[in-house]
Amino acid sequence: MENQYGISRVTLPMYVALVYAFLYIPIMVLVTFSFNESAFSHAWKGFTTDWYVQLWESTEVWDALQNSFIVALGTVSASLTMGFLIVVCGSYTFLGRTLILFYGSLAAPEIVTAVGLLSFFTLFNIPLGIITLIAAHTVMGLGYVVPVLHSRFSELDYNLIEASLDLGATRFQTFRSIVVPLMAPALLSVGLLVFIVSWDDFIISFFCSGGSAQTLPMYVFSMIRSGPTPVVNAISTLLLFITGICVTTFLSFRTRMGGMLW
Amino acid sequence: MKSIRIENVSKSFEGEQVIENLSLTIPSGEFFALLGPSGSGKTTLLRLIAGFEFADKGAIYLDDQDITRMPINERKINTVFQNYALFPHMNVFENVAYGLRVQGMDKKLIHEKVMRFLGIVNLEKYAHKSVRQLSGGQQQRVALARAIITEPDVLLLDEPLAALDLKLREKMLLELIDLQYELKTTFVYVTHDQFEALTVAGSMAIMNTDGEIEQVGTPKNIYEFPASSFVAKFVGTTNMFSGKFTRAGSYGTVAVDGLGTLHVALPTHQEWLHDGRTVIVSVRPEKVEISKQPLTGFSNCMMGEVKAIVYHGRSTQYNVRLANGAIMSVFRQNEEHFPSDNKVIDYDDPVGLYWQDKNVTLLER
Amino acid sequence: MVKRFREIFQQELPFFIGVPALVWQVLFLYVPICYLVFLSVTKVDVDGVAFTLGRYAEFFQVPYLRVLLRSLILATGNAVLCVSVGYPIAYYLAVRAHARSKSLLLMLLMLPFWTNFLVQVYAWFFVFERQGLLNTVLMRLHIIQEPLYILNTTLAIWIIMLYCYLPFAIMPMYAILEKFDVRLLEASYDLGARAWQTFLRITLPLSMSGVMTGFFLVFIPSFGEFVIPGLAGGDKQMFVGSLISHYFLTAGDEYTGATFTCLGALVLATAALTLRYCMNVMIKRVR
Repeated sequence: MENQYGISRVTLPMYVALVYAFLYIPIMVLVTFSFNESAFSHAWKGFTTDWYVQLWESTEVWDALQNSFIVALGTVSASLTMGFLIVVCGSYTFLGRTLILFYGSLAAPEIVTAVGLLSFFTLFNIPLGIITLIAAHTVMGLGYVVPVLHSRFSELDYNLIEASLDLGATRFQTFRSIVVPLMAPALLSVGLLVFIVSWDDFIISFFCSGGSAQTLPMYVFSMIRSGPTPVVNAISTLLLFITGICVTTFLSFRTRMGGMLW
Repeated sequence: MKSIRIENVSKSFEGEQVIENLSLTIPSGEFFALLGPSGSGKTTLLRLIAGFEFADKGAIYLDDQDITRMPINERKINTVFQNYALFPHMNVFENVAYGLRVQGMDKKLIHEKVMRFLGIVNLEKYAHKSVRQLSGGQQQRVALARAIITEPDVLLLDEPLAALDLKLREKMLLELIDLQYELKTTFVYVTHDQFEALTVAGSMAIMNTDGEIEQVGTPKNIYEFPASSFVAKFVGTTNMFSGKFTRAGSYGTVAVDGLGTLHVALPTHQEWLHDGRTVIVSVRPEKVEISKQPLTGFSNCMMGEVKAIVYHGRSTQYNVRLANGAIMSVFRQNEEHFPSDNKVIDYDDPVGLYWQDKNVTLLER
Repeated sequence: MVKRFREIFQQELPFFIGVPALVWQVLFLYVPICYLVFLSVTKVDVDGVAFTLGRYAEFFQVPYLRVLLRSLILATGNAVLCVSVGYPIAYYLAVRAHARSKSLLLMLLMLPFWTNFLVQVYAWFFVFERQGLLNTVLMRLHIIQEPLYILNTTLAIWIIMLYCYLPFAIMPMYAILEKFDVRLLEASYDLGARAWQTFLRITLPLSMSGVMTGFFLVFIPSFGEFVIPGLAGGDKQMFVGSLISHYFLTAGDEYTGATFTCLGALVLATAALTLRYCMNVMIKRVR
């Protein structure tokens, strides 16, 4: 809108700037000090990448990274596949009516899901580890995948599917040549979303990994607990960097494809 | 080319009966139009033929083959959708080639055939364009090419020209007629626009808002000899009078309250006609002459005053108020740039309306 | 027999393809939750498994009620703060920002949103530490003589909670405001209303659904939050989440843990529904 009235013309942008500063100053401080020479002082002592080198050499970090990656990848594959299939098949079987069950995972605090799963796994003596983590994260993932894909799928022009069948294609051919290409942008963006959610997840991992498989957030947590060191800064900066890339990719997808995700 | 026979078909949606006990035969090789107002069930009927819906009751035959419950992709019937339904992620070539590809045709053969059909619809130069870049008329032709390339037994068209402007529509209608004549495929064309239907159809059916077929026949038959007042009013415009019928030799008279006696010719089917019965007399406006001077040689004459004049380009419409207050419409061809004074008609002029008894239609209802 | 099964399988193939997700969801979400409820009302003694509501009764004592209340206050307060602080941001982004800066600002908002919240907490450690940024700056400007102890206090918890949950509140409010028909505002100005009046009478009421979504998007997770209070508040006070964590991980007592979790969930649900009801009433009153 072109007309901007009153003092809000000046105060509102100032306020926005203030809030954004609030959001970014801690992050910038964090990043800056990951390059700080001194380990204990908070005064700037000089530029160094020693802490990053330490990270590179730490086996714990690499293990945690590997675990996080495997879990995230597994979660994305499982939730995308199952979620996509149930959305497509739900459109013409009674499964469609069960889709509402998938909107529930976001309604409860994560801790409830986490302890529930913990007791469940204990009951059946299932050993806690990467597999149980993937299983747990997939539940979260489905809670994102199903609503998003369902909304995108119902926006598809159903005439296109009818046209494909009309021209003689089988249901499978229609799925492969029409449905999948048209759903591809949504699949990609929600896949990225689930990846980030699984990658960053702490609460469920905290309860359900049983100490055998440590993910990156869990590692960071233990390091924060034992006291801040620039190594933690370094790893935090790296995580920020990765998130930044994912976010930019995600947003460039969205602007190219159009439409909001939330 | 094959015929379609629909026998006693019924279909309801969410409790509402859209079509009940409908029977219709569409002759093979015909350009058949299905005309009706919105909500008459004509699109539903089309979808039943295509296989997008299954009938609750009744049967549909393609020549002698029962296709009532046959899946969409097994029927050799293709549809041109109202919104074209072109696959947005494919270009023109791929869209048209789709039907052949899913049947597993050889790539080289596909290429030849697609280019040939693109030539038929004059779109060869657009083969590699994305469908989003095309105009409405071009998209429509892609949809057409895509539907006919697999050489279906029947082609269904669901209001395909609805989104186009008038001039383009007129041009496409003629192209469709030529196309059907060449392909000899049975075309079933659904529309609510009577002009389209009358232009393209070899024969047509009129459906009313209750999902019933009012009349089946050639365009001329339907226009000149409507079977009911619904058809008379829906196709073209008409003047209607209601009165008591009396036979008079090989002609008849109808006594209309406040107006006097109208002389009418007897219809072909007279079983329902008897003396004293209330009938409806339908007189098309173009069959009526309007004149300020008295004319002779007409079986019917009514006096009135001009209440409205509407200029339509090739004709002028005069609305005349008759003795009993009813309004009668007359179309007069604008034959001359500068008509002589005695021909110029103005508001409130007293005029006489004249028409022949054989130019009226008697309707039962 | 096998042939018959194969026939059914072929016919109902779509169902079988789609059903894994359903099975997964039920098995790993709904069954565990039911199991939790089951655990909460059972006890194991010499005779086997028995039904008991005793443990629920045990929690109706002051220390536990205090924990529940503390979490409620944190959740409500945080939600109110996030929504209040965030609304002008959402408004600016949706209505006032120019097209070019809008996408940049949105992207800048997304980055903290997607950052791992542990990283976010840790970032604040740096600012709040005795020798951290805040103290250093304030001391240099001679505003204070002695460093402030902010870490390990309730203030730290509230600030960090606001920091972590602010984007959750902004997103839905932004979404609603973005779809806002600007012509309504133009109509209001056209009819002679001033900026404030237009805002209070048109913009705010119509964006209320976004505000409510934002509120609950913050309220519900904040109630179960224990990591931030634990790290930032120095584990001095117990919150619902910390207690649950204690029962399951430290004490290994899943029965009591389950009971408290279900109790907490019940409290949360009741509070949420009550709040929602009150808000709806208030909105109707204002209209």
